[in-house]
Amino acid sequence: MPEMRIEATINGRKIARAAKPHQRLLDFLRDDLHLTGAKEGCGAGECGTCSVFIDGVLFKSCMVPVGKAQGKTIETVEALTRTGELSVLQKAFHKAGASQCGYCIPGMVMAATAAIRINPFADREEIKERLGGNICRCTGYQKIFDAVELARDVQNGKLPVTALAEDETADGKYIGANVRRLDAPSKVSGALKYAGDMVMPDMLHLQVLRSPHPHALIESIDTSEAEAMEGVEGVITWADVPGEDGFGVFVHDQPIMARGKVRYVGEAVAAVAAEDAVIARKALSKIKVVYKLLAALFDAEAAMQSGAPVIHDYAPDNVTKHIPIRKGDIARGFAESDLVVEETYSTQPIEHAYLEPEAGLAYVDPDGVVTVISPSQNITHHRHMLAKIIAKPINKVRFIMSPVGGGFGGKEDMIYQGMLALMAMKTRRPVRLVFTREESIISTAKRHPSKTVLRMGLTREGRIKAVSLKMICDGGAYGLSTEGVMRKAAILGAGPYNIPNLQVDTYGIYTNNTPSGAFRSFGALQTQFATESHLDICAEKLGLDPFEIRRINAMRDGAETHTKQQLKSVSYLRVLEAAEKASKWEQGAPVSRGDRRADLTPVGEGVRAACSLGARFEANGKLEAAE
Amino acid sequence: MAKKRGRGVAGCWYGIARTATVDRAGAWVEIDDGGTAKVVTGVTEIGEGILTVLAQIAAEELGVRPEDVTIGDNDTARSPEAAHAGATRQTYMIGNVVALASREAFGKLAQVVADEWHVSPDVIEAASGEIWVGGTNHKMSMDTAVHLAKSRGVVPLGSASFGTDTTGLHPVDGAGRPWQAYVFGCQVAEVEVDTVTGEVQVLGIWAAHDVGRAVNPKGVEGQIEGGIVQALGQALMEDYKIDKGHTSTPGFAKYILPTSLDVPQITSVIVEDPDPIGPLGVKGIGEPAMVPTIPAMMNAIYDAIGVRVTELPASPEKILMALKDKERTENDRRAAAQAAE
Repeated sequence: MPEMRIEATINGRKIARAAKPHQRLLDFLRDDLHLTGAKEGCGAGECGTCSVFIDGVLFKSCMVPVGKAQGKTIETVEALTRTGELSVLQKAFHKAGASQCGYCIPGMVMAATAAIRINPFADREEIKERLGGNICRCTGYQKIFDAVELARDVQNGKLPVTALAEDETADGKYIGANVRRLDAPSKVSGALKYAGDMVMPDMLHLQVLRSPHPHALIESIDTSEAEAMEGVEGVITWADVPGEDGFGVFVHDQPIMARGKVRYVGEAVAAVAAEDAVIARKALSKIKVVYKLLAALFDAEAAMQSGAPVIHDYAPDNVTKHIPIRKGDIARGFAESDLVVEETYSTQPIEHAYLEPEAGLAYVDPDGVVTVISPSQNITHHRHMLAKIIAKPINKVRFIMSPVGGGFGGKEDMIYQGMLALMAMKTRRPVRLVFTREESIISTAKRHPSKTVLRMGLTREGRIKAVSLKMICDGGAYGLSTEGVMRKAAILGAGPYNIPNLQVDTYGIYTNNTPSGAFRSFGALQTQFATESHLDICAEKLGLDPFEIRRINAMRDGAETHTKQQLKSVSYLRVLEAAEKASKWEQGAPVSRGDRRADLTPVGEGVRAACSLGARFEANGKLEAAE
Repeated sequence: MAKKRGRGVAGCWYGIARTATVDRAGAWVEIDDGGTAKVVTGVTEIGEGILTVLAQIAAEELGVRPEDVTIGDNDTARSPEAAHAGATRQTYMIGNVVALASREAFGKLAQVVADEWHVSPDVIEAASGEIWVGGTNHKMSMDTAVHLAKSRGVVPLGSASFGTDTTGLHPVDGAGRPWQAYVFGCQVAEVEVDTVTGEVQVLGIWAAHDVGRAVNPKGVEGQIEGGIVQALGQALMEDYKIDKGHTSTPGFAKYILPTSLDVPQITSVIVEDPDPIGPLGVKGIGEPAMVPTIPAMMNAIYDAIGVRVTELPASPEKILMALKDKERTENDRRAAAQAAE
């Protein structure tokens, strides 16, 4: 491969060294100069985690070929702490609690630094605009805006430097105090190493061959040509699994790599380890897989029909899990109701979109312990499963949880750690795998798409007499967390209300779509979306205020839940009152009062100004510039 | 009027820690040289702030400062089981077990100091690196106290386990005790809908959540704010599109996420209804923060324009189509009424 020579000033130091023409500036900084503060989040200039300054101007380094760095002055997040001290802005991030997982934060710090360099008096709206190219999935951005405003005011002398210091805590009472996050300095400075930032001596790079088909038999896999390539140190398939092959949070229905059959597009089929990722990727194209296509299922309700193709032999009806809840007499409840309302609600699949794509590093230690370092949300369970899969005693398997750059449930599945372990065992060298964003999106779990039919019967006074709720979820090709999601959706679905007669059924169904799995709020989001929308529909029909209909039915201290559990203290009435008061809610039935409401909030007193960026169409259809 | 405002409300409830199974966690604590402390438990940050929360808890229980606490990282070969980072369980399960283990370690140290001062260990107090007996001149630094303990052959160690009293669900009627702690929440959303473009902007959210006891209020707000913005994504824009098993949204150019320009102003109200079972009264907030957001937004859209979105997301296309349907229905009704006259 031809090489080029780059001469540039990087973080104040003149460098002159070889680079490969295919490298991006991001690769050069991270792989060659070991400046891992800039992260790769998307590789397409869409998320901003790789932001750096080139001649003082903010750039996304994943979009800059290394050749463009020739003769330039480049600053990464590491430049901000060259004196050994955090910058005012970094201290403000620390104080404001602006970092959570921290993966977007080095890029966000660079963008924010640029924002107040360009306009030291930028107001909150301008700050938002200037951060518009940087995505954060954890914080909801509020504390980031707070931090930039704090830094701006300290820099302008409007606030004293002490505004950046820890709040005083009275008498050692730390529980209940806004202690600054202990991990924030390592995050705002870019010093914290995530799995994809870690390297080991003699480390190999893993790449994964993935299924192009949603449902197909694998007739043969020929890896010989890939194995013969220079620089390739190992190729693995299902045949390399020594033990009981299968993982999943509830049912162990997913093999480390496809075993005779693929069930979704993106499923791992084989993996290659090579001296670098380029060789490994090239080797993937030399693996020959012969598939025999099978009829596939893309709709959960179709998959429930008798005679539908079977995706897993153990579940001939394609049902991953059904959870029933029963209370009272549903027929009598509806008969006693003055009003019965039925509606269908549906939700779409959602990507976790943590900014840190999956990554991991595995090695076999001198005592023969197979060790996997990865941002896994459940190393305890992963250890159990991997020990069975590689047929080793549990103390010969070690999982280390690296800092997690956002999880939200998406990193509970042992989707790639098994391949890393097998390859480390096969090659006896450390092996690292770093997913691309595309790989992360196509191959990992989504929030369950759902369809909920909800029927509710109420008295004229608004008291709920009966609820029937049936939810069908597309669980995709493998079980992952589907069973637990169905359970939580069922238990919590009808809401914190006293319902004497109840029938709930939730179904998780296998299809050949991307698997669905754990996602923050785990099924309860889907069913409570239905119930809480439904209560407003009923309130309108009954002429009741939405808070009132909720209060009438609210569980109170000592209530019995839908699963017949006696609760002690129930705070539902308290939170209703708190929200009603804080929002200065004007009572009234939800009859689309809209602009007739007297409680619409003035800007600055709880709402932001509506965004008027760019041009807007006026009602008459003509294009007008923003005000 | 092209732009219509509206408000909506929704409530929620949620269970804390693992569902319908016995949850458990373990921790080891050592009051270390120099009056510092080591906490070893299988847990690592996933961004929620758990390391800081545990340092606060250990510091208060041990009488040291949070920055004196070193938290052992999650390693199945080096730390006791604390299981997974999820299920809104970390503050509840790990927070409580760290408090219990800290109390045991402190008890060992307090015994040594009490013997030295010839008082009962019950009267020993400690905070921020000092240990004393109230109303007396007995006082020393934690550094000295640890040194004293070690000179007596005592390493002040504690360990604990915390488990839940929960059950599975009955296979027929679902009866059972899935959690021992529940939280409740309520959110109000205020939106503006552009009836020409169909775009919905969420301008404000008021979020009241019971968290049991807030260990770090700013951290709780961070969880609420982050949860609301994730829910906003699902409510209005995010959509993983899949056709015959192939996605057409494999990157952030096609899979649209909320940016700094999409987010509402958020007012959090933290309600504290302490858990009567655990030693700290804490519960949790990670997941429930996003449960009421979407229905509150959909109820607000209905309030603004009289359109009920039952199929997420409420994209501009869907809003415009629903407005057209509504107009058509109203026109038909008007025409029918005129014809009847």
